[in-house]
Amino acid sequence: MTAFAALLKNEVRVFTRDKMTLFFTLLFPLVFVLLFGVLMGNMGDVDQADFGWVDVSTSDDETLPHVLEDAGLHSVRRFETRPELEAAISDQRTDFGLVWDGANLVFLYNATRLQENYAFQQLAAGITAEFNIRKQDAFPVLELTHIQAGKIESTSWFNLVLPGILAFSILSSGLFAISGHLTHMKERNILDRMLVTPMRPALLLAAIAVVRLVMGFVSTLITLGVGIVVFRMTFTIDWFRYAVFVVCSTLGTMGLGTVIALLVRRPSSASNLANVLAMLMMFLAGIYFPIEFMPPFLRTLSSWMPLTHMANVMRYVTGVIDMSQGRFWITSAVFLGLALVLFPMMGRYAVRPLRR
Amino acid sequence: MKDIFAIARTHVVTALRERVTLFWFLIFPLFLLTLLSLIFGSVTDNEDVQFVISLIAYPQSAADLPFSASAAIEEAFTEMATPDASGRAPLFVLHVPSDGQDLEAFLDAEVTELRRGRRAAVLVLPEDFDRQAMTALSDASSAVAGARLYMSSTNVASETASSIIDQVFAELDRNLLSRMGRFDESQAVRDVTEWVGQAESEVAYIDFALPAIVLMGFFTSGLFGVPGAILFNRDLKVLRRYWVTPLSVSRYLAGFGLGHLSLCALQFVLIVLVGTYGFGASIRFSSPTAIATLILAVVTFMAFGFLITSLVRTANAGMATANILNMPMMFLSGMFFPVANLPAFMKVVILANPVTYLLESLRQSVGAQEGTMMPSPWTYVVPLLWIAFSTLVATRRLRWDVER
Repeated sequence: MTAFAALLKNEVRVFTRDKMTLFFTLLFPLVFVLLFGVLMGNMGDVDQADFGWVDVSTSDDETLPHVLEDAGLHSVRRFETRPELEAAISDQRTDFGLVWDGANLVFLYNATRLQENYAFQQLAAGITAEFNIRKQDAFPVLELTHIQAGKIESTSWFNLVLPGILAFSILSSGLFAISGHLTHMKERNILDRMLVTPMRPALLLAAIAVVRLVMGFVSTLITLGVGIVVFRMTFTIDWFRYAVFVVCSTLGTMGLGTVIALLVRRPSSASNLANVLAMLMMFLAGIYFPIEFMPPFLRTLSSWMPLTHMANVMRYVTGVIDMSQGRFWITSAVFLGLALVLFPMMGRYAVRPLRR
Repeated sequence: MKDIFAIARTHVVTALRERVTLFWFLIFPLFLLTLLSLIFGSVTDNEDVQFVISLIAYPQSAADLPFSASAAIEEAFTEMATPDASGRAPLFVLHVPSDGQDLEAFLDAEVTELRRGRRAAVLVLPEDFDRQAMTALSDASSAVAGARLYMSSTNVASETASSIIDQVFAELDRNLLSRMGRFDESQAVRDVTEWVGQAESEVAYIDFALPAIVLMGFFTSGLFGVPGAILFNRDLKVLRRYWVTPLSVSRYLAGFGLGHLSLCALQFVLIVLVGTYGFGASIRFSSPTAIATLILAVVTFMAFGFLITSLVRTANAGMATANILNMPMMFLSGMFFPVANLPAFMKVVILANPVTYLLESLRQSVGAQEGTMMPSPWTYVVPLLWIAFSTLVATRRLRWDVER
């Protein structure tokens, strides 16, 4: 126990003195949250759309202005001529527009804003339907009420993204933690010196794991807190399951990180390999881009990525999506199993002097 | 000149031998291009998109009514869930309760499936839906017939399916009104879609994404490649060995720049080939403006790489700084997400970001963008200002040998 306490103390010192690791563990996930919080906060919300229109008809009917007023747009601006409106759409001063010639509602879109045009076209379809109904003094017969199936936590795309960022930060810190640290110790011959003492390799791995685990846990809390405070996001966190999964997944990814430590010799190579793996998984796991529209083979590939499952469980424990109890416990057990299998094995093979 | 070419060749060969460099220079941009094209290309082209939805129609106690709105809705959705004559997959995969199944239990189970991401939407037509529809048709002042649509805003498929179902309902609404003589379909105003600019239709996703991926490749090459090559060579004392030869720093820089330009050219050719022949991109980068923008981009990002190199002490610090700047600069330029409607404080970052201007300029020059956020001269002036600033700082601060 004394040996473990000494190793633990040493690891705390090493971690807190390493400003770079401290930054990447505690603060770097915040960069992602702040960045994507701003980018995705209003994604797909047409109430942010600036709309322009031109009336070239000879009619003085006021139906259309009233329909546009009620359409839920951010702003509605009337232009004198179509070229003026087109110029505004082209320069993105206006998001999309309408020309009313008395016979047709001609909606104008910027052909290059294809990420947003779908939402604008949906709004345009609604404007047309409402205009037609009001113009003939008719009233709708059918009404479709949208009900959020989830809780309040699942009402925006960013609510889905933030737990994904937490999962990504667990994965990347887990992958880097052991691989980078061990290869760094090897390169500086620190490991060689420690190995001539009676220290058990598994104890060293355990000490590194405990320190990184605590820091990783704190990091997820800071990230979550910033999301809640800065972006006023709502989560219903099941703290017990949250703690269980953060611990299991951090240990599991650390286990995967020890495999990297076994494969490479230099810290920079370990960091590069971990970076490459993390980046590939980030894009395939649906952290920032939806996987619902991926082709079937990519969805299958995605389902094999540990990060996909980590992100889904983090969404579950923060109340964003639903999941069966069985799936939660099996996923947690798999990550814990990875750690239990890989740690002793890698303790034997990775905690060795540098191959020369 | 021989020495310059030798340095350029060394730079290219070293970069191509490094597997990690190869990954970031070539494999990652191609991977991202493939992934984005497969995800967003199929969405914008409406190809292979299918939604799994549930429809629960509660029994209607209205056998006396002249027609059934719920039956019309069921019929419409069943039709949309049936493959067409060409065998093309239908838009919806429809789940309905089997005969005699407990509807409340079925609804609960389907909503749970929706929460777990296995359904895109659950449509419920409540009891008395038909009678309410009939009453609303005959008496305009009465309440409308309300249906419920369970959906999830965090699921993009659910959002999209919900908007399609909204449109189906609007269409059915008009059909019902016209059937009762309350709406004259022949008097209905049509909505027409027109595209502003030179394009006759919406730009294809691959044409929109390809300039971004090309620039992303140049950007990561400059951001990681320059500090990586210079700082590791300095820290490993490789540069020191150059300085004991007659090679001057300016000639080394010329060789390094030429090598970097060659790498970017190789990267550009491969990405464009994959984009054009693999994904059917139709844009061409052959106009003088496009070529000028591409060269400006390579030089700007290389200068930016030198700026980072001059501001840090070690290679690891250089890589860390590049890592910190990489994502924010890429994402806050409009490469992958629209940035036109971001808050004012973010606009400052976007407008200071050279990637924003180069991306807008490149997209505009290949016809994948109409207009730019800033007037045309600025798309060149801002990157040129970054080159000047980076060169100035690098000239004053960059150390070409390890500290003794």
